[in-house]
Amino acid sequence: MRCDNRRATTLISLILIASLVQGAENQVLVYKKKYIMGTVFEIAAYDRSAEHASDAIEKAFQEIVRIDDLLSNYKPDSALSKLNLSAHFHAEKVPPDLYRVIDESVHFSMLSDGKFDVSIAPLVNLWKAALRGEGMPSQARQEEVRGCVGYEKIELTPPDQISFRSSCMQLDLGAIGKGYAVDRAAEVLHSLGVRDALVNAGGSTILAMGSPPNQEAWRVHLRDPSNKIDPQVMLKDESVSTSEQTAPSLLGADSAGHIIDPDTGMPLKTVFAVSAVSRTATVSDALSTTLLLLGPTKGRALIKNTVDVSAVWISHDAQVEAASGGPQILFGNSLAAPSGLGGIP
Amino acid sequence: MNDRILVWVFVLISTSAWCDVFVRWTGPALPPAKELGLNELVLSWNDNLSPQVRVARRQGYHVYIEVPLHRAATAAETGASGLEGIILAVRPSEAGELEESLRKLRSDHPRLRFLVLNPDGKAPQMRGSLVIKRGSVLEVSSPTAQPWIDTNLALVKIERRAHPGQIPLYTFSWAGLSDSGQQPLALTAEDYSLAVAEAGAFHADLILELDERLQKGLGERDPEAWALWNHVRPYANFYSHTGEQGLEAAANVAVVVDHLDTSDEATNLLARHNIPFKVLRPVDLKSEDLGGFQVLVIFVKPDREACERISEVATHGKTVVLVEAQGSYPWQNGNSVRLNEHAVSYAVGDGKVLELSEPVIDPETFAQDIRRLLGTEGALMSLWNGLTTIAVPYRRHVGAVKELEFVNYAEDPLRVQVQVKGSFASIRYETPEGKCCESLAFLRRNGFTEFVIPELRIAGRVHLKAGPSNDVRSRRVSSR
Repeated sequence: MRCDNRRATTLISLILIASLVQGAENQVLVYKKKYIMGTVFEIAAYDRSAEHASDAIEKAFQEIVRIDDLLSNYKPDSALSKLNLSAHFHAEKVPPDLYRVIDESVHFSMLSDGKFDVSIAPLVNLWKAALRGEGMPSQARQEEVRGCVGYEKIELTPPDQISFRSSCMQLDLGAIGKGYAVDRAAEVLHSLGVRDALVNAGGSTILAMGSPPNQEAWRVHLRDPSNKIDPQVMLKDESVSTSEQTAPSLLGADSAGHIIDPDTGMPLKTVFAVSAVSRTATVSDALSTTLLLLGPTKGRALIKNTVDVSAVWISHDAQVEAASGGPQILFGNSLAAPSGLGGIP
Repeated sequence: MNDRILVWVFVLISTSAWCDVFVRWTGPALPPAKELGLNELVLSWNDNLSPQVRVARRQGYHVYIEVPLHRAATAAETGASGLEGIILAVRPSEAGELEESLRKLRSDHPRLRFLVLNPDGKAPQMRGSLVIKRGSVLEVSSPTAQPWIDTNLALVKIERRAHPGQIPLYTFSWAGLSDSGQQPLALTAEDYSLAVAEAGAFHADLILELDERLQKGLGERDPEAWALWNHVRPYANFYSHTGEQGLEAAANVAVVVDHLDTSDEATNLLARHNIPFKVLRPVDLKSEDLGGFQVLVIFVKPDREACERISEVATHGKTVVLVEAQGSYPWQNGNSVRLNEHAVSYAVGDGKVLELSEPVIDPETFAQDIRRLLGTEGALMSLWNGLTTIAVPYRRHVGAVKELEFVNYAEDPLRVQVQVKGSFASIRYETPEGKCCESLAFLRRNGFTEFVIPELRIAGRVHLKAGPSNDVRSRRVSSR
């Protein structure tokens, strides 16, 4: 029995050709992985010193752990958990990183007219229970929980205060937090002199720093639910993220999913997986979820108004929709865009 | 009947420890068994084995040789004296003759142990998405944002059914750790500890490969090699102590397969999702007591007699999932609901039969479906923050869970929340690094007991003492 590529939500493959050409022999590749934020973070870095690269990677991991300690809604002592407990009563002073992520989140909420919404947590939890087999939530319960959701009820007071204008509001930064952590890890690597590295958060968000030795960029294979298109992108100081709804049940008519549409309050129904490319992992992470929720038609309009961003939507039956204002997305073994793909340069 | 008694005596004797770790030695110098902390040594068959065996025995080892099945008789007859046993590497083409060969070998050489080896284990690990291949090619191969782990649990369950008279014995090649990118591979104490922990937690025996440099270092008393090995020894020790007799892996899902194929992704994914299942052959459908299973997953075409058992099981409120169901079955006369393009549900008595018309093309989703079918009430155990953790519940043939073995493939301390079915009066936790046992706070709710393991690093064991509402005939779990 083959193991189907649709095992879960995501994506992406990446190939880097390295050290094969003259001049690269003094660069060593160091690779490490660590389980943080419920996923496997991996860093592969080229450096003249294996020891230096190794130390730098460890420090980058420490930074991701630090960010997780702030943004986790699983850890009861995280800054986010404390905010979720108390911001209904008074404005809560929060650490700069948490303020920055929530500020970015609200920006994406406005940009997407509320499709991206970090206050969706109560609905996500409701449907998570359904995914676990606890039964579909009643209409009344759905309505009740929907009342807790709405980014416009988040009040940010610069430089560091946040309050909620809803007594049942809860924030979940799952759609942007990993991207933010990847960016901070890259900053640490850069500050320690590592120029060419790849930071990968479980395959769903990848940031390419510099390029492999004697290469112009890192070639990253993107998620292809059809297994026919093989989309790829060349990244240099850029990031790609992919979002996809939980695969439907094989044994049930009703199926929940982990991505909830704020407009309906229900799991998003879509045939697409979407990959978004941008300058930072924070943006690509938030953008991929946003574009999945918006779909190709509205998504293209958003891309058109955003600088240095590309995206591709691919369905299980190989339908491809793309939009590009940034890096070129390539297709298939020939690495040429299939005909009829508007938006691909 | 006598044969059956002998098998059970053998199994009971063999389960006196959680697991045996056999070390495969190819190096020139061999440290004493007492210092290595392992007593079982495996040598490869060669024509000049006797001096090696003598040296190994002097060093305190029980010595085994590993040979292909077709050479086992020769090895047993001409092999060096002092051998403890022979480990049989069986090719798939030899599987049909294995039982008869084993019977004859054991009869002809009653002083030798003959063990069947499954060589197709995986190097246990938490996989990343990046795969570093030879030629410096990196590829993000995992399609999932959730951590992927390589575990041998499904293999052990399959081996248990394939060779019921023997503790499952497997081995693997470290070359499977392909994403580390290091050439040559630099194995860590954590890698070895995880391998030992996995076999111990699954109550299986393992032939452990030590890389050449480590063997050389240990043989030459290199302090660095011994510093590494001294981190592994507590793990070997942890699983070598006598465990409570007669415990077996608890399961409320039965998986019926025709071919005992350890590469089958559906069974691997069930294991990966901590769904406690037992592997059955089609013949077991007719003979096995199926009352303890909530869900039966059937990957074979059932004959008339099996159909009767399926209907009987479903009538009593259970769920049967028939994969690749083609043809007419008796339950198809009942009420049906089409679930989707490929799935139909038939009501049978208090239960149901779900027919899936196609093979399992998405094992990940299929495993989640089975978990959903069990529902909250039917789950023997659930973990939170346990995406890199495998937990195996053990109990007596009937009754509540008495022990839980945990393995964390992330190899970093993890806070894991656990919910286990049953009402317990005490929860005690031990690890290879610590003393037995730490009492854990717990909460009883709706027929379940909940507790938190504050720091699961690589391995841990939980002892559960039944509370008043449990079967009072259950024996108390003894601590070491």
